[in-house]
Amino acid sequence: MTTGKQRVDGQPAFLLQAHPYRETSLVVDVFSRDFGRIGLVARGAKRPRSQLRGVLVEFQPLDLGWFGAGELRTLARAEWQRAWPMLSGPRLLLGYYLNELLQRLMVRDDAHPALFDLYAEAVQKLALAPAETVRHEALLRGFEKALLRELGYGLTLDHDANGDALDPQARYVYKPELGLLEGEGSGDDVSMTGAQALALHEDDYADAQVARLAKTLMRVLIAHYLQGQELRTRRVFIELQDL
Amino acid sequence: MNTGVLDELVSALRCLPSVGPKSAQRMAFHLLQRDRAGADRLARALGDALTRLHNCARCNTFTELEVCERCSSPRRDASQLCVVETPADMLMMEQTHSYSGLYFCLMGRIAPLEGVGPKELRLDRLLERAADPAVREVILATNFTNEGEATAHYLGEMLRARGLAVTRIARGLPVGGELEHTDIGTIAQALSERRPA
Ligand SMILES: [Zn+2]
Repeated sequence: MTTGKQRVDGQPAFLLQAHPYRETSLVVDVFSRDFGRIGLVARGAKRPRSQLRGVLVEFQPLDLGWFGAGELRTLARAEWQRAWPMLSGPRLLLGYYLNELLQRLMVRDDAHPALFDLYAEAVQKLALAPAETVRHEALLRGFEKALLRELGYGLTLDHDANGDALDPQARYVYKPELGLLEGEGSGDDVSMTGAQALALHEDDYADAQVARLAKTLMRVLIAHYLQGQELRTRRVFIELQDL
Repeated sequence: MNTGVLDELVSALRCLPSVGPKSAQRMAFHLLQRDRAGADRLARALGDALTRLHNCARCNTFTELEVCERCSSPRRDASQLCVVETPADMLMMEQTHSYSGLYFCLMGRIAPLEGVGPKELRLDRLLERAADPAVREVILATNFTNEGEATAHYLGEMLRARGLAVTRIARGLPVGGELEHTDIGTIAQALSERRPA
């Protein structure tokens, strides 16, 4: 989306990350519904009495207004649309992981309203759903798959790379950019049966082996598209589990 | 004119938080032109601080001693250990005059997006400190930001797993606060953390 000098108001958005900027300001990386990921300067937001301090918070549905063009626009106003409880514990770490995926895989100024809605839904679940009803793994895999699809890296899991129907009993390997190729594969290849591929296609992670497979497949694909960049939130999450 | 020394001073001043190139230049000119005595004092103070101050072996804040005065004071209650993010937070706690226990200062917080985890924070030192048999309760007083909450959660898990009683400072409406003039985030959180009356 091209952006001339413009004024935007009433835009649903989430804060992904805030950085200190100059003496008293913040630069915020936000994911907005209709303008995608953008950078905004929040003037004076670091002053002790700034009303923005308590508003610019991750994992809360925000309503933003801004003006200007280019790399850094200027935040004009920010309010909470409503107030969700803060994320806590492992859910907070999952939230940070979603933010990092968006920051590293989604370019700036590229609108993805459907992905925005999925993100909002995922964060809302992490914030509001009772602990016992949220299956973290399924939530993550669903979001990762949707993210890749929305960014144009969609997976094809219901037929093979030649467009042929899958044989549930046969073995396949998944190759990034290509899809499923029949064969045993070797070493680092992600290999699965046709039946498992179909379960992945349906987002059906009830089978523990399929759930593990989904995790491995997503890790390999995301690493492929990250081109060697480290996912900091994943490393920190693993280190925290080991405490 | 060779300005290598001046450039070095300006770029050195930029290591201060929130100091950009313009402010750094203004500071450098001010020190050199208008306040050379102040500059000399600053240089000495920095040198002294760097050579004489280090982290207290008990609370991790800065001290000239091996163990700071507060940590070695017999008047402090050694059964309570309060964990804060920064020395400034510790000073605020002290200003309340309602806490007489000891402290551990993390000098930071867990910040997943910045890659700051348990290793970068050196949480092993807190574990070692909390393992002192005199400690009966660890009070988590990290900020009520998302990062402060993540820090408190994992510290809580880690310390409880080692048999310690762990508490978290409470949050809610400010003292003297009226609902009408309170932000909705605070009200929502206070509602979700309501307690029996
Ligand atoms: Zn001390």
